Amino acid sequence: MGPKPIASPVPESWYPALSVLMVAIGLVVTASFFIYEATSSRRNRSLAKELTTGALASFFLGFGSLFLLLASGVYV
Amino acid sequence: MGLRLRLGLRLGIVALTITLLSTSVLSDLLLSKVDRRVDLTSQIVRITSTLKVENAGFDLVSDVLLAFPELQARKLAYLTATLIEGKGKVKNAGVSLPIEVANPKGMPPALKIYSVSLPMALGQGNSLTLDVLAVYTHTLQPFPEKITQSDIQLVLFQDSAHYLSPYPAKVQSLSIKLPVDRIESYTKLENTKSHGSEIKYGPYENLPPFSYLPIVIHFEFNQPFAVSQDVVREIEISHWGCVQITEHYNIIHAGAKSKGEFSRLDYQARAHIRGASAFRHLVAKLPPSAHSIYYRDEIGNISTSNLWGDTKKKELLIEPRYPLFGGWRTAFTIGYGLPLQDFLFESVGKHFLNISFGPPINELVVNNLIVKVVLPEGSGDISISTPFPVKQGQETKISHLDVVGRPVVVLEKGNVVPEHNQYFQVYYRFNKLSMLREPFMLISGFFFLFVACTVYMHVDLSISKSSASYLAKLQWDEVRATIQQVESIINQLLEAHEKLEASLCDLSRTGDIQACKMARKTADMFLKEQSKELKTLFSFLQSSPSAAHIVSKVEDLVLRERELQERLIAKHTTVVDCYERKFASREIEARVAPLEQKIIALRKEVEDLLEYIDEI
Repeated sequence: MGPKPIASPVPESWYPALSVLMVAIGLVVTASFFIYEATSSRRNRSLAKELTTGALASFFLGFGSLFLLLASGVYV
Repeated sequence: MGLRLRLGLRLGIVALTITLLSTSVLSDLLLSKVDRRVDLTSQIVRITSTLKVENAGFDLVSDVLLAFPELQARKLAYLTATLIEGKGKVKNAGVSLPIEVANPKGMPPALKIYSVSLPMALGQGNSLTLDVLAVYTHTLQPFPEKITQSDIQLVLFQDSAHYLSPYPAKVQSLSIKLPVDRIESYTKLENTKSHGSEIKYGPYENLPPFSYLPIVIHFEFNQPFAVSQDVVREIEISHWGCVQITEHYNIIHAGAKSKGEFSRLDYQARAHIRGASAFRHLVAKLPPSAHSIYYRDEIGNISTSNLWGDTKKKELLIEPRYPLFGGWRTAFTIGYGLPLQDFLFESVGKHFLNISFGPPINELVVNNLIVKVVLPEGSGDISISTPFPVKQGQETKISHLDVVGRPVVVLEKGNVVPEHNQYFQVYYRFNKLSMLREPFMLISGFFFLFVACTVYMHVDLSISKSSASYLAKLQWDEVRATIQQVESIINQLLEAHEKLEASLCDLSRTGDIQACKMARKTADMFLKEQSKELKTLFSFLQSSPSAAHIVSKVEDLVLRERELQERLIAKHTTVVDCYERKFASREIEARVAPLEQKIIALRKEVEDLLEYIDEI
C-alpha cells in the first residue's frame, strides 16, 4: 500500500466553530465557578465542588483557546 | 586576450605531453559524434553535450569518463547524465545515471574526472547515446567590471571549441546560444558561423583525446544577474494542519558593478537606455496549494508584489523596494503555508515529509543554501534522503507551546541552482498522542488560575486576628451560613408541600386513596424532622448579636411557613375525607375554597420573605 497522506485529527473547517463553542462553554462554567465562590459562605463551601468546576472550566477553556489559536493561523 | 593565450598555451602543452606519453590506461571508447549546446541566455550557464559513445576495443566497458578543467569544475553546480533510448525523433526521457568523482591514473594534471556508470556494460562494437547536462555558476565574467548607469553590460564567456575528453572524437560541433544578437567579439576559428544570437563552431573531425582549443565570447547580457549569498529556508511542520515555509534571502546583483551616480529620473524616464543592466522583478513559482503568502523585510511589508495562479501552479512576482544595479544588495523574507495532506505521509509506522529542496525563485544562484526542517516536539528516529549529497546537522528550536523544543534537521549545500529544486524526504517517528501535550499545557495553565482563586478564598489573610472588625466579620459569616441553611430547609419544605399538592392531583385523576394517604404520612414525617432542625438553627440565630436585624424577618418566615403547612394539611385531610365519603367534586371544591385562598396568600408572603432574605 502506498504512503497515506496525513491530515489533522479534527477537520480544519471546524476550527472556528469549535473554538467559539468551547470558549463559550468554558466561560459559562467559569462564571458558575465565580458565582459559587462569591455567594457561598465559609462553612458551606465544598472544596470538591470548587475543584471540579475549575477543572471543567479549564478543560473547555484550554481546548477552546487551542482551537482559537489554530483558527487564527498560529499553527501551534 | 592575454588570459586566453596563457590558458590556451598551458593546456596545449599539457595535451601535447600526454599524447606523447599516452598509455592504454583508458578503455578504448570512441566518441563517434559529439554535439554541444551552450545556453548563455541566463547567468546560469547550461552546457548540454550529446555523446555517441562507441566501444572500439575488445573489453566490455561499464563506465564512461568525463573530464573538466579544474578551474571550470570548481564552478560546476550540477552534473547529470542520462541514457537516451530510441532513435531519431522518438526519444524517451532517459534514465539518470549515477556519476562519481574518479581518480584514474595517467590523467593530465589540473583536470577533474567524473565517471558515469552504465546500467549495462557496452560490448565490443556497440554504441550508445549519452546526454550530459553540466550547469555552471559564476562563469560569466562582467567585462568591463565597472559600468555607469547608462552603459550596457558586457560579459565574457570562456570555453573550448574542442570537447575536452579522455577519448578521441570523430565528429564534433559546438553551438552557443546568446540572449541578444549583440555580440561584441568572439574567437574566429575555422568553421565558425554566427547568425543573429547563435554562434556555431564546427564540425571538427578526428580530434585526439584531451584536445582543447580555448575560445572567448564577449557579448551583451541584460538578464537578471541575481545571486543570493545566503538563503535560509525554514520548513515548520505542525500536525494540526499546516506546513509553514519561511525563506530569508540576501540578493546581490553579481554583474558589472555600478559606478558613478544613480539618476532616478533617467531610470524612470528611459529605463531601457539608462538602466538596462538592472533588474526589477523576481518571479517565484510556488506550489498551487500555497496560502497566506507574505513578502516583507526588516522595515515591514513590501506591497509591490503580484500573485496569480491556477490549480497547477502559483506565480509570485516580487519587486524589491528599488531596482538592483551592479553590486547593489537587498534582503527580504517570503513566507507561505501549505496544507498538510499534500506533503506529509505515513508509511511503515514512520511519518515522512516530501517537499522541494531549493528556493522557488527562478534563475537564482545561491552560494549557500540552508534548509531547516522543524519537526514537531517529541519526534524521534530522524533520517533524511536527498537526491544529491548535502551536509546534515541537528539543532533545537523553541516555538509555540513548547517545553523542551522541537528537533530541527539542518541541511546545507553550496552553489545551488534551480536544477536542485527536487523533492527530498525527511523521515521521523511521532506519536499522535504527543499532539495532546499542547492543549494539556493550556488546560493546566487555566487550572492553575482556578486553583489560585480557590486558595485565595480559603486562606485567611487578615493580619490581626483579634480586632473588632475581624471578629464581627467572622460572626457575620456564621450568620450568613445559618441563614443559607434555613433557606435551604424552607425550600425543602416547600418542595414537600408541592409533593402533597401533587398527590391531591393524582387523587383526582386516579382515585387512589391509599396512595394519597401514604404520601401524606411520608410528608408528615419529613416535615417533623425539618421543623426540628429549623428550631435549632433559629435558636442559634437568636443568640448571635449581629443577626439582630434579620431575626425578626426569619421569625416571620418560619411562622408563615408553619401556618402554610397547617393549612395545607387541613386541606389534604378534607379532600381525602370527601373522597372517602364519595362527595361530588363541586362540594369538595366548596369546602376547600377558603383554605385554598389562604394558602395562596401565605405562599406569596413566604416567597417574598425568602427573596428579601436572599438579598442581604
